[in-house]
Amino acid sequence: MSTFTTECYQNEYLPLGGSEVNAIVTVTSDGTAGETSAPDAAEIVIIDTSGSMGAPRRKLEAAREATRVAIDCVRDGVAFGVIAGTEVARAVYPDDGTLITASPEMRAEAKRALRRLKAEGGTAIGSWLTLAGQMFATAPGRSCHAILLTDGENQHETAEHLDQVLAQLEGRFQCDCRGVGTDWKVSELRRVASALLGSVDIIAEPEDMAADFRALMQRAMGKSTGNVSLRLWTPQGASIAFVRQVAPTIEELTGRGVHVNPQAADYPTATWGRESRDYHVCINVRPGQDGDEMLAGRVSLIEGDETRAQALVKAIWTEDQQLSTHINREVAHYTGQAELADCIQEGLEARKDGDVATATFKLGRAVKLAAESGNDGTMKLLQAVVDVEDAATGTIRLRHDITTVDEMSLDTRSTITVRVGPSAT
Amino acid sequence: MSTEDVDVSTGFSCPSCGAPLGAGDRFCERCGARVEDPDPHPSGGDGQRIELDLAIAAAVSDQGLVHHRNEDSFHLEVTEDRNVAVVICDGISSASAGNVAARDAAKAAGVVLGEAVADPSKDASQAIADAIQAAVEAVIQVEWTTRVKRVDPSCTLVSAVCRGSEITVGWVGDSRAYWFDGEEARQLTVDDSFAEEGIAKGLLTPEQAAKSPFLHSITNWVGPDAPERPRRTVSLRPERPGRLVLCTDGLWNYAPSAGELGGLIDALPDGAAPAAVARALADTANDRGGHDNITVAVVDIDP
Repeated sequence: MSTFTTECYQNEYLPLGGSEVNAIVTVTSDGTAGETSAPDAAEIVIIDTSGSMGAPRRKLEAAREATRVAIDCVRDGVAFGVIAGTEVARAVYPDDGTLITASPEMRAEAKRALRRLKAEGGTAIGSWLTLAGQMFATAPGRSCHAILLTDGENQHETAEHLDQVLAQLEGRFQCDCRGVGTDWKVSELRRVASALLGSVDIIAEPEDMAADFRALMQRAMGKSTGNVSLRLWTPQGASIAFVRQVAPTIEELTGRGVHVNPQAADYPTATWGRESRDYHVCINVRPGQDGDEMLAGRVSLIEGDETRAQALVKAIWTEDQQLSTHINREVAHYTGQAELADCIQEGLEARKDGDVATATFKLGRAVKLAAESGNDGTMKLLQAVVDVEDAATGTIRLRHDITTVDEMSLDTRSTITVRVGPSAT
Repeated sequence: MSTEDVDVSTGFSCPSCGAPLGAGDRFCERCGARVEDPDPHPSGGDGQRIELDLAIAAAVSDQGLVHHRNEDSFHLEVTEDRNVAVVICDGISSASAGNVAARDAAKAAGVVLGEAVADPSKDASQAIADAIQAAVEAVIQVEWTTRVKRVDPSCTLVSAVCRGSEITVGWVGDSRAYWFDGEEARQLTVDDSFAEEGIAKGLLTPEQAAKSPFLHSITNWVGPDAPERPRRTVSLRPERPGRLVLCTDGLWNYAPSAGELGGLIDALPDGAAPAAVARALADTANDRGGHDNITVAVVDIDP
């Protein structure tokens, strides 16, 4: 079993009357259980086989190849399946709505079954996920993960239906979502990935699919610890302003807490390999008197019924403004990274709506924040969409020649953050 | 021998909200308030007061009206021979875990003085010096969390050994001892404070000192970072029956001179028991504002 460690970054000093407590909690898992516990996993690959996947033809061929690569990465003993999705979902392998235990023979058979895939029909992502949920249910007790590939919008069911499905499946399995080409909707796939605690990304060229699937499946196989929750205890009378993962990507968790008692809520974190994530918690507490010290929150990593690690978030009230006005570097950094993601998404939205002023302001602000925090990856993506005149002040011009791929890449990757570096402020 | 260690704890409950505390809790599981002591040691709540009445000697420790926690502590012990050992400590409020420092210091010093009152062959002044040293060592052991701008756990200490007609008093800081015998009202201790040093050096008049912002800036204390200063003792052999009073500044702030404090005692009915005197003095401090924790011990001496 993996070992978890935590570190807490905060300025615990509050001015008299102050009530908002912010902290960044870094959680690191050493992933030591990797080799031994992978057979407890279950994996499903969901391939979009709607008509558009056949145009160009190589798209379906690339998806088939990517799925083959993914199957090869599945370790012996892992429960496995493949689903083909159109306006309905179909179990490709095994075809009886269950999962099969991986072995060399099974992998060969599964790859043969992929030959039968044809590109025809529509897109109903909710029905694909529902079938995945049913198949995972036949392998109880395993840590379940799916890869979903689509190339289009969810046209053959309502947004409400998809929301209902997601609400039902939340916590049942984790799903990484990939959009190939530029005809899919970022916000739609992001909603699926967020609800199912997975990542979302664009695969611009079909040829890049195989490498991406390999990376996803290898990462999934490296996840050794499943069913981990982040538990936040707060004192009586306190309220949780927000809880969000802030690294490696921003994931809003605030609304996803499940109370285990009136003072503690569990937030899902899915599976962990050898990795480190940062969380930003913001808690409002009842102000204390000068010199009072309070436990404003306790962040615990819970696996099953056991506490694997915990971090204490404190508040100390002081009249000394030099102490209380200092903003913790990590808190400031991630507040900026969250604003960066918001600015990009709002800026792109405004641009689509033809609101040039708002788009310029928001994307300019994004450039400034990316530059300040040393988020070079995001900066590069921004530069494909705007001409930067002065990064320090966020002075930019919207480019007119931008491609849809650049725009969608910036949108999907807007939530990728960087950690506090020595040069960052 | 009737003996008792009293620290100002009321049980295993949170000082802020009263919720029960588990062993080893550092913070209340309900309200999050800090619990200074690994062995839960709350000392708050509205008007919390601890009284110990041992007939010829009594002590009262009161939270006061402003502080949300009592950082004073005391130890009082009376032998069958009517010998008395008493220690009062006042946790320094700008320090971490001042209440724990005061409690542990009073307890450690109390053990040493308890042996001295039970064994007449022991030198009282030496016993006081040993008791203070034991208090220092106990406070060094106090665990506390690192906090910027907070000093190490520390406290003041005033103690007395009363054997027959001999009274020996020792102190560190600004907790005081007084002698009252109807004719005389005398402060036995001299505060380890900037104000007293100013008076001693002729820089301040006592009136100026009383108004000085440094009145409460002490120049010696019990704690790991205490300065190297002599720890003072004083002895007296009263000829008339009288009362020895030990107290923290939570009381003497409201009656700064021996005369004023003696006046408060004189106003009480003749023959008031030590417990009644201690209670009345603590009540007076609260009536006058209760701005700090108040601890007072009263010992009847009949040579």
